[in-house]
Amino acid sequence: MLLKLKLSSCLIVMLLIIVGNLNAQERVVSDDEVNKVAEKLYCPVCENIPLDSCGTAACQDWRNEIRLQLEAGATESEIINDFVQRFGERVVGTPRDPSLRFLSVAPPLILSILGIFVAVFILVHLRNRHLVPNTVNDATLPESDVPADHFQDLLKRDLSQ
Amino acid sequence: MLAEIGYFALILALLTAVYAIITSVFGEYHRMESVVLSGRNAALLNFVFVAIATLALQIALMTEQYQIKYVWSVSNPQMPEFFRFTALWGSQAGSLLFWSFLMSLFSSCAILFNWKKYRRLMPYAIAYMMAVLVFFIGISLVYENPFERWWILPGNATNDVVAAVLAPTGATAPDPTRLAETANGLNPLLRHFGMAIHPPMLYLGFVGFVIPFAFAMSALASGELSTNWIKASRRWALIAWLFLSLGLILGGRWAYDVLGWGGYWGWDPVENAAFLPWIVGTAFLHSVMIQEKRGMLKVWNMFLIIGTFSAVIFGTFATRSGLIESVHSFARSEIGFPMFFFWFVITLISMAMILRRRSQGLLADEHNLSSIFSREGLFVLNNLIFVVLFIAIFWGSFGAPITSELFFDTNITLGAEYFNAVTPPLFLAMYILMGIAPLSAWGVTSLSRLGKTMVIPIGLTLLSLGLFILNGMKEPLVLIGYGIVLLSGWVAIYETYRGIRARVKAHKENPLVALWKVSNRNPRRYGGYMIHLGVTVIGIGVIGSTLYQLETQRSLEVGDSLDLGGYTMIYDRFDGGQISQDERIMDIANVSVWRDGKKLTTLRPRRDFFPGTEGLNTMTIAGAHSTIENDFYVLLVDWEEINQNRATFKVYVNPLINLVWWGGLILILGTIIAIFPKDVMNKETRQRLLHS
Repeated sequence: MLLKLKLSSCLIVMLLIIVGNLNAQERVVSDDEVNKVAEKLYCPVCENIPLDSCGTAACQDWRNEIRLQLEAGATESEIINDFVQRFGERVVGTPRDPSLRFLSVAPPLILSILGIFVAVFILVHLRNRHLVPNTVNDATLPESDVPADHFQDLLKRDLSQ
Repeated sequence: MLAEIGYFALILALLTAVYAIITSVFGEYHRMESVVLSGRNAALLNFVFVAIATLALQIALMTEQYQIKYVWSVSNPQMPEFFRFTALWGSQAGSLLFWSFLMSLFSSCAILFNWKKYRRLMPYAIAYMMAVLVFFIGISLVYENPFERWWILPGNATNDVVAAVLAPTGATAPDPTRLAETANGLNPLLRHFGMAIHPPMLYLGFVGFVIPFAFAMSALASGELSTNWIKASRRWALIAWLFLSLGLILGGRWAYDVLGWGGYWGWDPVENAAFLPWIVGTAFLHSVMIQEKRGMLKVWNMFLIIGTFSAVIFGTFATRSGLIESVHSFARSEIGFPMFFFWFVITLISMAMILRRRSQGLLADEHNLSSIFSREGLFVLNNLIFVVLFIAIFWGSFGAPITSELFFDTNITLGAEYFNAVTPPLFLAMYILMGIAPLSAWGVTSLSRLGKTMVIPIGLTLLSLGLFILNGMKEPLVLIGYGIVLLSGWVAIYETYRGIRARVKAHKENPLVALWKVSNRNPRRYGGYMIHLGVTVIGIGVIGSTLYQLETQRSLEVGDSLDLGGYTMIYDRFDGGQISQDERIMDIANVSVWRDGKKLTTLRPRRDFFPGTEGLNTMTIAGAHSTIENDFYVLLVDWEEINQNRATFKVYVNPLINLVWWGGLILILGTIIAIFPKDVMNKETRQRLLHS
């Protein structure tokens, strides 16, 4: 009885594997599916060019690799992780590593919040402060070397034009 | 001979610039008018020498002087004359010389136009402009000399060439025929009309911002801190902003046509390096109005103009030093450290001068902020948005990649994913302020008064959104986005309409005549509204093309068809191996585009191959059918080499993308109007005053 059960279980598993393999072989991955993953990756060689639009032969090979991985049943996330492991964090638009991700996103956020506080402070300050009269003595300012009547001459010239 | 002329002209340009700095500062400090005048003349002479050097290189390019290393590296005998001409800025050494030429041209114009009117500011302004020129001419002479020539050293059996400006002892010139045969030719990506004029526009924008910076620094140095420096520099800042905007728009168009990814803005660090000065410059153009009208934010305006200049120099340094590729390549680059040093020192000196004048009380504000809803209050908020936008883009482009490489020893790239998450809320906040600020008044404005003036623009916006909904747009977030963008546009139109209506009532004029007259009387205001309208149109285009873009990639046999976004594309024919005049090999697919059973057009997407070119030697040129509604955009991705019956296409439908270009055009027209001199007095009034 136990042997029968074992045999039938083995048969079921084998059948499942065969059906699974058949399904995997039947799965045709379209260019759009490949590009959907590739557009989330950057060319590991060229600077800042998304993998889906890079025209080099190397990138074409990497796109084929994505196709093969998709055909083998890998998910988008698994493929991206695989590329990050092999080529480093620069192949993704935002790092996968948590500390690098924090470094990327947190500083502008913190600075923006800080900026808002500073702006509020400035606005309140500009509203409530007492204006300080100009403390500079006129004598400390360098004298203009343009004679006063020069401006009258300019005005006359402009009017005569 | 041309190389010698250019080289010595450049040396003389350097000497005249140094002389201009010394005499301007010395003469002004000791009140010696003749010395100051001598400094001014030297600054003008500097332009003559830089122009001679630039002309020498241009002639060398046009007459194919391949013994000059620069000519050899950016041109070849097959290149058409147009690209031979644009090769002047096709590589580092030439573009640095061209930068100096434009800078010198702007400096001379600034001196000639402002000498009489802002005499007190001019000596120090000349000193600052010439200091920037000394640096760039120095870089050209020491590190990136475009006049280096090829030489064969004596006793060299293999005839290997070396580059040197002057002939090394006993060296002979290589055979010109051999040099012509081996010449590199221009980078294929630069062989496009958009790319030919995009760099000069950007350079004009960059060097243009040096002029307002020089006036600001002159005000700080001379202590003449009235609004004169603002009046002197306002038009220059607008001219710089105009060219920078034009450069950015043309860069986007070039990317759309040539880079072959279906978009126009990829948040690439090089693009961002040009966008950053634009952001700070825009903040400055708004903030400076508060100082003019209310005598406020004097320190802030100084910081903004220094920030703009600093962003210009940093952008130039980052893109030319290799910093974008890697911190280490910056260190290896010859010009990296000098550029960084110059940027750092000039920024430090500027900051120190602001602090000095502030401590003397010369930069004290004259008014309090009466209301947060006053125009100056809203402009302060607008400045905040621009600054936060600057920080976010700077961090994503340079800050995070440099920090991670320095401290984590890891290269990272922050791509569209980061920028698309961080920037949209900031852009929307900017549009909200663009919609509200023009309706508020300087000084005191209450919320209820502001609300009343907004009733009609809000009504028009809701009406427009109704039309969007009727056309099938249902997503609430997109509708909110469109609503905010449209409001700013309707406010600009409504305010212009109010101006025209008042004029028509008062003078019984035709509305078009009234529009002309009001724009003439207040070009800055109505030019500004037009710029806002342009930015609105761009915003509509950006939202549409980003959120509703359709894309597919398919391999087709000849005769097969593909459907996307209501269009049908049929692959008709393949013309492989076509050779053009400049000897590029073009593989062209012919596809016909149909809609509702009617043939619209035939497109010829192609792949160009440049034989004999090192590095990137292919270019993907899209075929596009453009309407105001959308672009049907086709890229040839791949094809079967043998029978050429099967080819792979990547096809996009980009909704409303043409509004980005049309909006850009409106923005440029608005800026030109804003730059126009104000007609303060009509002929009759002038005559009356003269005779009275």
